[in-house]
Amino acid sequence: MLSYLIRRALQAAVVLLAISATAFALFYAAPSDPAVIACGPKCDATQIAAVRESMGLDEPILAQYADYVRGFVAGRTISDVDGTPIACDAPCLGYSYALHEPVRAAITSRFPVTLSLAGGALAVIVVAGIGAGFVSALRRGRPTDRVLSGLTLLGASVQIYFLGYALQYLLVYRTGWFALPGYTPPGEDLGAWAAGLLLPCLVLGFVNAAMFARLSRAQLLEVMHEGYVRTARGKGLSPLRTHLKYTSRGAAAPLVQLLGLEVGALLGGAFITETVFGLSGVGKLAVDAVVQNDLPTVVGTVLLAAFFVVVFVALADLVVAWLDPRVRLA
Amino acid sequence: MTASAAAPTAASAVVAAPALRVRDLSVTFTGPRGAVTAAEGITFDLARGEVLGLVGESGSGKSTVGLAAMGLHDPARTRITGSLEVGGTQVVGALDAELRALRGSRVAMVFQDALAALSPFHSVGAQLAEAYRVHHRGAPRAEARDRAVDMLERVGITAARARDYPHQFSGGMRQRVMIAMALINSPDVLIADEPTTALDARVQRQVLDLLDELRREHGTAVVLVTHDVGVVAHATDRVLVMRDSMQLELASTERVLTAPEHPYTRALIGAAPTLNTVPGTRLATVDEPEPKPRTAARAVVADARPLAEVTDLYVEFGGGRTWSGRRREPTRAVRGISLSVREGETLGLVGESGSGKSTTARVLAGLQRPTSGEVRFEGRDISGAAGDAALRRELSRHAQLVFQDPYASLNPRRTVEQIVTTPLRVHTRADAAERRERAVELLEQVGLSADHLERYPHEFSGGQRQRVGIARALALRPRLIIADEPVSALDVSVQAQVLNLLMDLRDELGLSLLFVSHDLAVVRHFCDRVAVMRHGEIVETGDRDEVFDRPSAAYTRELLAATV
Repeated sequence: MLSYLIRRALQAAVVLLAISATAFALFYAAPSDPAVIACGPKCDATQIAAVRESMGLDEPILAQYADYVRGFVAGRTISDVDGTPIACDAPCLGYSYALHEPVRAAITSRFPVTLSLAGGALAVIVVAGIGAGFVSALRRGRPTDRVLSGLTLLGASVQIYFLGYALQYLLVYRTGWFALPGYTPPGEDLGAWAAGLLLPCLVLGFVNAAMFARLSRAQLLEVMHEGYVRTARGKGLSPLRTHLKYTSRGAAAPLVQLLGLEVGALLGGAFITETVFGLSGVGKLAVDAVVQNDLPTVVGTVLLAAFFVVVFVALADLVVAWLDPRVRLA
Repeated sequence: MTASAAAPTAASAVVAAPALRVRDLSVTFTGPRGAVTAAEGITFDLARGEVLGLVGESGSGKSTVGLAAMGLHDPARTRITGSLEVGGTQVVGALDAELRALRGSRVAMVFQDALAALSPFHSVGAQLAEAYRVHHRGAPRAEARDRAVDMLERVGITAARARDYPHQFSGGMRQRVMIAMALINSPDVLIADEPTTALDARVQRQVLDLLDELRREHGTAVVLVTHDVGVVAHATDRVLVMRDSMQLELASTERVLTAPEHPYTRALIGAAPTLNTVPGTRLATVDEPEPKPRTAARAVVADARPLAEVTDLYVEFGGGRTWSGRRREPTRAVRGISLSVREGETLGLVGESGSGKSTTARVLAGLQRPTSGEVRFEGRDISGAAGDAALRRELSRHAQLVFQDPYASLNPRRTVEQIVTTPLRVHTRADAAERRERAVELLEQVGLSADHLERYPHEFSGGQRQRVGIARALALRPRLIIADEPVSALDVSVQAQVLNLLMDLRDELGLSLLFVSHDLAVVRHFCDRVAVMRHGEIVETGDRDEVFDRPSAAYTRELLAATV
């Protein structure tokens, strides 16, 4: 168990290192010059050169990358466009010249939005997605199954931006049934927090739930024919108890694994949903940074997304091993 | 409240009524492609403590009857008519709640594949305890746990292992767990569906003996579903023979074995070779219940030169080092064996599962790299064939394989012609017309015909598929056929057909065979020489009569004694 955790942690470190290096290299190769952007449109050539030097952009890429990694591990001092030093504590993700704040601060301030959205969407996925799949499987071929299967097909085929705008128009502007989407910190007003996130969470969850509904239905139907399910019925267990205790457990492994990936991906930010509903989360931060060629923010958000995926995939593997004693962690 | 207290009227009826009373039982599956009758007109009584053998080939409906007694057929997709009473309680048409009170309490079931039938997620102790608690509502957990441990100990599994999961047990122990679980509530009727089919002979014998002991203790009536005539003879009082979902005959075991009424029953009994049949004779099949004896006795040159041989062969799996540098203990599948298949002879390689016999066969076929030792084919070193495509290709011209599972070993997306002619395409320059001609010839050789060329494997029965597999192996006119359990997945009468075919072919073509099998009776019937393997070593090797009539190794004697 301990050796498994150590191995997974090392694996995660390698993955994160590789991803950060790739992101770094990609942006180094990009045609636009970060120094020009940082300096602003009114700079002349000497000013840009000065900025480039103070930002360390005149150094070779490997040296810049080494600085970055060192900063992440031990912290470092970064100079602003005008040369004033900025202290950046470990884990330092660099300083955004476009936002004029450290990347970590930029992410931290937006992360609660992403976390709330991911949590709500996850609840929808588990309840509506996996729940629908379970009910569908139990009612296979009956009207309930047909309706649910139709709904999940709809969810799988509809695009978030269409569904998001359409529902926002119908439910918020036309009827006023839902509050205007937006983010209020839960510490400030819990009710407003929930009301503002309800529609975005439902939309994001619904679209992602479709896949889980279909997978869980297929899984359950397959496991229902397993020998141990028949044995459980042969013991005299009721159908419901058989399904809760045996069938669900047999069907769980692929769902848990997919769920791990999904949670990791959601925590990395949901750009489209955030844009549609005007929420400023990590997803929007990341895409804005790409558009503005804001290298430190891009690398920071990419790393964050990768970190969550790596962590939750490893967690999912642990859960699968706990559910099924035959699985050996490797 | 216990289950027996829940049905006081039924309890008093037990005295008069037989444990199981079946009248004109029919089971029909209704599917999208119409109804399929799986059992029809089944009628029998089963007294307390009696063992009824329910015999037939796969698809004959014997398991259907067993499941009907448990009320385990899906009512939405099954129509059941007639009457089936467990101790006076009607099962046909009963409500699910009534059936639940019955299942596991008064009628219980043991399935063939215990690994699949036991929950992989719960310890065996927990599974037994649950079986107890379902029918003893309100019983404290500790009581259920004690009961489970008692029952496990009764079947020879120590209390300490109650916490272990099914995959941590051997096949025989898993089947004991199944039996313990089925009997934990002392049911009136036990349905045992092929309980020993997947087990090695010695373990089969132990499980059957255990079942018998427990039957005596609990007075349980047993329906033993099996296709194995040996098991029937060993373990049953009466036999009900089924064929094509119909009840063919019902009589005492002795009567059925010695004077069967129906030719089919006679064929079924004659189809499986026993340790007393004359080796090499044609076996009875359903189409030919009384086969003509073979004319000439099989002539094998005693000192023919070896065609394929291994010397001091070792094969290890795993090993290597972990990431932290610790050395892993390798699995030693084969530990220093030497054997040879001589020109024109059939060598039987016998052993229980895990004895290393299949690994040895794979080495000779050039599919497995030996860890050390010599492997020769016609005197030429072929030990590197597993890693050398050119060498393996050359070897495969002369040595071909027949596999155990005729369902898994044929590509479902290819026609029989494509399957049979693939070796010709790879190894010869024959054009399409020549290949087709050879394919027809091969199919006729194995008892199929040119009509079958365009068909796909799923259109064939298991026996026919195995014929296709044999035709493929013969396509290049190989000198050696390596057959790994080629008949163990087949029904007895189909097994007889395939054995008859192989006996004809080897005489006709002068083939040498390496025949890998766990079935001593089949090996005795089919092979000229025998090597007995255990734990990766050869414990005994010699001519057939020598090994079977005067076995020198204690292990061989043990195996022979266990063969039912």
